[in-house]
Amino acid sequence: MKGSEKIKILYIDDEVNNLNGFKAAFRMDYNILLAENTVIALELLEKNADIRVIVSDQRMPNQTGVQFFQSILTTFPKPIRILLTGYTDIEAVIDSINMGHIFRYIRKPWNEMDVVSALEEANKFYLAESILNSKNKELQKAYDELDKFAYSVTHDMRGPLLSILGAVDLSKNMEDINEIKYMLSMMEKSVLKLDNFIQSVHEYYNLKRGELHIVNVNFNEIIKDLLDMYEISGKLNAIKFTTTVNQQSTFRSDEMFLRIILNNLLSNSFKYYRKDIDNRFVNLIITVATHEAIICVNDNGIGIPEEHIGEIFKMFYRATNEETGSGFGLYNVSDALSKLNGNIFVDSKLNEGTRFKVVIPSK
Amino acid sequence: MNPSKLNFIVIDDSKLDCFIAEKIIRNTGRSESIKSFLHATDALEFIKNNTQDTSEFKTILMVDIQMPIMNGFDFVEAFDKLENVNRENFIIYVLSSSINENDLNRVRYLSSVIQFLNKPLTSNTLSALLDMIN
Repeated sequence: MKGSEKIKILYIDDEVNNLNGFKAAFRMDYNILLAENTVIALELLEKNADIRVIVSDQRMPNQTGVQFFQSILTTFPKPIRILLTGYTDIEAVIDSINMGHIFRYIRKPWNEMDVVSALEEANKFYLAESILNSKNKELQKAYDELDKFAYSVTHDMRGPLLSILGAVDLSKNMEDINEIKYMLSMMEKSVLKLDNFIQSVHEYYNLKRGELHIVNVNFNEIIKDLLDMYEISGKLNAIKFTTTVNQQSTFRSDEMFLRIILNNLLSNSFKYYRKDIDNRFVNLIITVATHEAIICVNDNGIGIPEEHIGEIFKMFYRATNEETGSGFGLYNVSDALSKLNGNIFVDSKLNEGTRFKVVIPSK
Repeated sequence: MNPSKLNFIVIDDSKLDCFIAEKIIRNTGRSESIKSFLHATDALEFIKNNTQDTSEFKTILMVDIQMPIMNGFDFVEAFDKLENVNRENFIIYVLSSSINENDLNRVRYLSSVIQFLNKPLTSNTLSALLDMIN
């Protein structure tokens, strides 16, 4: 076992001979910390958060091992406890198990095999506990997200549907064909909004469950598709779309994730344009250097108010009243980037434009 | 005797929902005025700037819950804090698509809100409501 990988064991005993003996026997395989009383033991625990196992003698002058274990029940819950005692004091054993959360009990004088087996078992238990803990945290996070998700999904799906329902109801008594046509165009927008939302949910799911699928990425290919996609919406709203790709070296990454990032950034730029200017533009620049790709999306759109910039990557956060936003897009972008170990920087001025810069390392 | 006229304020971030509400309100024949706002902040501003309004008519205010920037709850809270507003003159309804228990309970505890209305707003619901107001 390499030195850096040795697990930390704290051994507490009031007899110096025992301390030295323990260290001599196990220092080859473990990183042994010694304490001749519980005060020193506490200091060591405070300084070494990575102590995995505490072995303590029961009979000590100021505090018994069980009392010590009991006293650190809430302050240091993580290390696994092993009690050593020379007396076959059944009361102490029962107490220790019930009150001190003791994992094992070793009789003195110990033999090396017993101690090693106890330490190994304790370490396994420690690892299982930490995995369980981190899984529980993940689970809690997933639950919290699910709550938020369920709340917003009902709103974002029912909203457009009920709008359409209301419009249908209203149209029943309409005679004027122009008025009916106007209602239909409004209903169409609601349908598109709902569809857009469902697609975002699909993306969200892909990102959450998806394993990375790393391939050689050719950005020129991706750009071709994007140009096809955004040419129409660009023409519709008179937005000039220019792209520049400078790819000299190979870049390895997940293509679906990259597309999600590009799509969301671009669709925002095309969605939130300024109505009061003529020379609208969206500009995409991709530069691939040796180990990374830098993607810049610039526009002269409505911009993001300064006070909202910190919030825009949160799920369901919408910094504008523009109807078409789902509050999902940039959340999906940041989720995809965290999976690709990438970073995003935003620079935006209200009524002037927004510039997103994304840096993604090659895998 | 004809029932009295009413002023209407609709606050909803969905253009279509505002449009529907306006239509239905107009069809009742009781509207003295109808104002709809996509942004709750604009509605608040409007109310603030019209405190001197000596209109003899009451104002029916319908507000959505989930809206960006300022949601329905924030709006009601801000409305309650407005000074120089004749609250007696306002009859506030929450009009929402929400089926969330928390939302419904929160609305129940807002003393200035009369009732929670489910979307979509229909002529029947509105007529029934207005029949109770003279």
